[in-house]
Amino acid sequence: MKHSISIFWRLKDNHYKIYITKCGDCGRVAPLKRLKCPYCGSRNVEHVESRGFGELINYTVSYYRTEGSEQYLPRVVGLVKLDEGPVIVGEITDVDLNELSIGTRVEAVLRKYSSEDPNGLIYYGLKFIPVIKK
Amino acid sequence: MTSSRFRVGIVGWGAYIPVYRIKAKEIARQWGFDDRVTDSIWIEEKAVAGADEDTVTMGWYAARSALLRAGVNPGDIGAVFVGTESKPYAVKPSSTIIADALGISAKKLSTDLEFACRAGSEGIRISVSLVESGAVRYGLAIGSDTAQANPGDVLELTASSGAAAYLVGPADESVAVFESLVTYVTDTPDFWRRDGSRYPAHGEGFTGEPAYFHHIVSAVKMLMNESGLKPSDFDYAVFHQPNGKFPLQVGRMLGFPREKVLPGIVTPWIGNTYNASALLGLAKILENSKPGQRILVAPFGSGAGADAISVLVTDKVLERVGKAPTVEELIARKKYISYAEYAKFRNLIHRNLW
Amino acid sequence: MKTYVVGSGVTKVDRHYDKNYLVLIDEAVGKTLANSGLDASDIEYLVVSTAFSESILNQADPSTYIAQNLGFRNVKALTVSSGEVSGAVALDYAHALIRSGKASRVLVVGFEKMSEYPSWVINKVYSKILEYEVEGIKNVAPSDYAALIMNDYMRRYGVSRESIIKWSIKMHENAVKTPHAQLQFTISADSLSKALRISEPLTMLDSHPTSDGAAALLLVNESVAKKAGTTPIELVDVESSVNLPIYLRDDLTYFSATAAAYKRLSSRNGVKLTTNTAINVYDTYDIYGLLTIEALEICARGEAVKCVDEMPYLNVGGGLKARGHPVGATPLYQVHELRELMSGASWVKYDGDISLAHAMSGPDNNAWLILLKGWV
Repeated sequence: MKHSISIFWRLKDNHYKIYITKCGDCGRVAPLKRLKCPYCGSRNVEHVESRGFGELINYTVSYYRTEGSEQYLPRVVGLVKLDEGPVIVGEITDVDLNELSIGTRVEAVLRKYSSEDPNGLIYYGLKFIPVIKK
Repeated sequence: MTSSRFRVGIVGWGAYIPVYRIKAKEIARQWGFDDRVTDSIWIEEKAVAGADEDTVTMGWYAARSALLRAGVNPGDIGAVFVGTESKPYAVKPSSTIIADALGISAKKLSTDLEFACRAGSEGIRISVSLVESGAVRYGLAIGSDTAQANPGDVLELTASSGAAAYLVGPADESVAVFESLVTYVTDTPDFWRRDGSRYPAHGEGFTGEPAYFHHIVSAVKMLMNESGLKPSDFDYAVFHQPNGKFPLQVGRMLGFPREKVLPGIVTPWIGNTYNASALLGLAKILENSKPGQRILVAPFGSGAGADAISVLVTDKVLERVGKAPTVEELIARKKYISYAEYAKFRNLIHRNLW
Repeated sequence: MKTYVVGSGVTKVDRHYDKNYLVLIDEAVGKTLANSGLDASDIEYLVVSTAFSESILNQADPSTYIAQNLGFRNVKALTVSSGEVSGAVALDYAHALIRSGKASRVLVVGFEKMSEYPSWVINKVYSKILEYEVEGIKNVAPSDYAALIMNDYMRRYGVSRESIIKWSIKMHENAVKTPHAQLQFTISADSLSKALRISEPLTMLDSHPTSDGAAALLLVNESVAKKAGTTPIELVDVESSVNLPIYLRDDLTYFSATAAAYKRLSSRNGVKLTTNTAINVYDTYDIYGLLTIEALEICARGEAVKCVDEMPYLNVGGGLKARGHPVGATPLYQVHELRELMSGASWVKYDGDISLAHAMSGPDNNAWLILLKGWV
């Protein structure tokens, strides 16, 4: 899939890194750099960078085919609870489907989201792998 | 331990080896080699980058580990170099992607370097000069490759994927200080890849004596002459390792006993990671070294050139080993794949692309 | 002013390779206007609903071309596009026009042509219902979320994988009796182990198919309704709510937008749904159907599987699962099926006064409810 150059470039902070929005009013945390707290709507938020470590709390093995996805299938898509609190959706890569389980400790790694057009951009972003250093 | 003579050193280092492995014998059988060929050059298995990995993603991991070990503020890094011969983009730097993803500031020098397998070590040499001159506080040099080899070429038995990164900075913050650095470069056409060509070509036997051996021997002898050091002054010697056999052979030619060379050999278990080859060997040595030990590292790049670098390990190494995955941990982490999966991951299968 | 539905018509839901959207709409509109006492020239507003016409048909604002090609003169034409709830939003707009007195005769037309491209292209289009900058760009698919939700539901309530498929089995049974339904065959739990997996544990048996179809509803005010040649039903009220994205939810197994909309709708209108109320809900995936009947307070949480058998008027048309999901038209199909049920034209007899249609985009991201009442 081709993405807009400017959209992808503008989104670097939310895909090359994991930022967390902390609400100064309701105190809740949510992934991504956000203008407002998604829970209470407050603008009194601060953005902090996550270390990128967490625990896999739910996952699916996905065979959902989209153009250009065949090189990556099947994929594991899951929810990761970051050590800093929020839950983030992401792909879990480099996994043996038989070994994966809820509670697996994971770390964020830079990978290719997609790059199927040989003349187009390569879209990099964070995925998760089981932690290398136990 | 750190002599005031030495102003620059390695502040942090990091390694990355993809999780996938293919047995060299499987590749040999795939293409009709007598499978004893793998023993003749000493290659057991090689690391294969996954479908979503490339030079940038592997270089990022190694560099992040170097930063974790160094514990420095990414904003203080003034130069980022990526040495590779498998740039994801023919035009567009890999180094800028890695730097942005690591939060390294925009005020920096940043470029991709190409000199076959020794561009990463040239990145170290440039970083040393930049730090020494006071132009930057820290320089980050990365060697990363998803090494290409024409399917069916003997090179395919070894060409693999991996990355190593070194953060170069002030000696008093370093885990090892640079004592001496020399480089020996000539025009020797042993291995090349033309623009637009998918796979490199090489002169087979010609890559040995006039290229690999001549350049490494010349560089190391130059270092010995200039520094007055002898093989017996070194605790370890690490050479570029296109296979398991060459580094032992060149060590012998230079008078290094086998036991000083063996600890730095990683290729038989992960393959030739090209720009990361000797640098992963150095990382493995650092992770097992003791303060005060002296290491010789001699990367080689076709085309051709070799560096000879002497480093002295400081006591800071001990506290930093455990802050990121070690080479041995990365080698032990593995999943075997078939030739078909390897071909899928490395884009060796012709497909209509969208 | 009250709103009445005096006509409705649908095409068979299918892969209509030989028909474009105009042909499908022409058929649905013709059936809708028949017996209504009105023709195209009487229509004041043409409200068109589609989710993906720009992506699939390369057509912005199809309402203009529907009006130009299908003989609508002096009509106010517009297109509503709001993901999977487009049809419900179109009905709300039409309802507002009539309630406010701004119009007395509004034709709502919904359509989708999902079969125009192979699955690997359409899958990408359908994934646009999720947030592109967060989920789409990472290739997270709608079915991935359904799988995560199914996992949590099974874990939390100890519900078995085999029991969830009861929903789909019932939908196929209903579809067999519904002429316009797409998948007119029955399925059994035995086929589950052989069914193609989409996002494990979710299989094709749990999911809606790829559908084309068009549906139309004629909404009028009371005075027009009284002159209609058909028995009108009243469109009483529309309610809606938006949920957080699923990665921000504390409990994946609770459709809180559906629940919040229902609480408001219920208290405002003094209605309460039971297992005997006719409802037509979004079962994009069977697990979503189950969570919806729990959010609508028909079944206790974790008990939906047990309720399914006790609900004779649940998705009588076969649901998204088996009637199909021509996305922009789906809520109109739902209301059409409820109208047929309430006017005695369905395969099952219904004596209830009210019925409810439920639509949502993704996993309860945006939920809409439409309350209908028989003519009194």
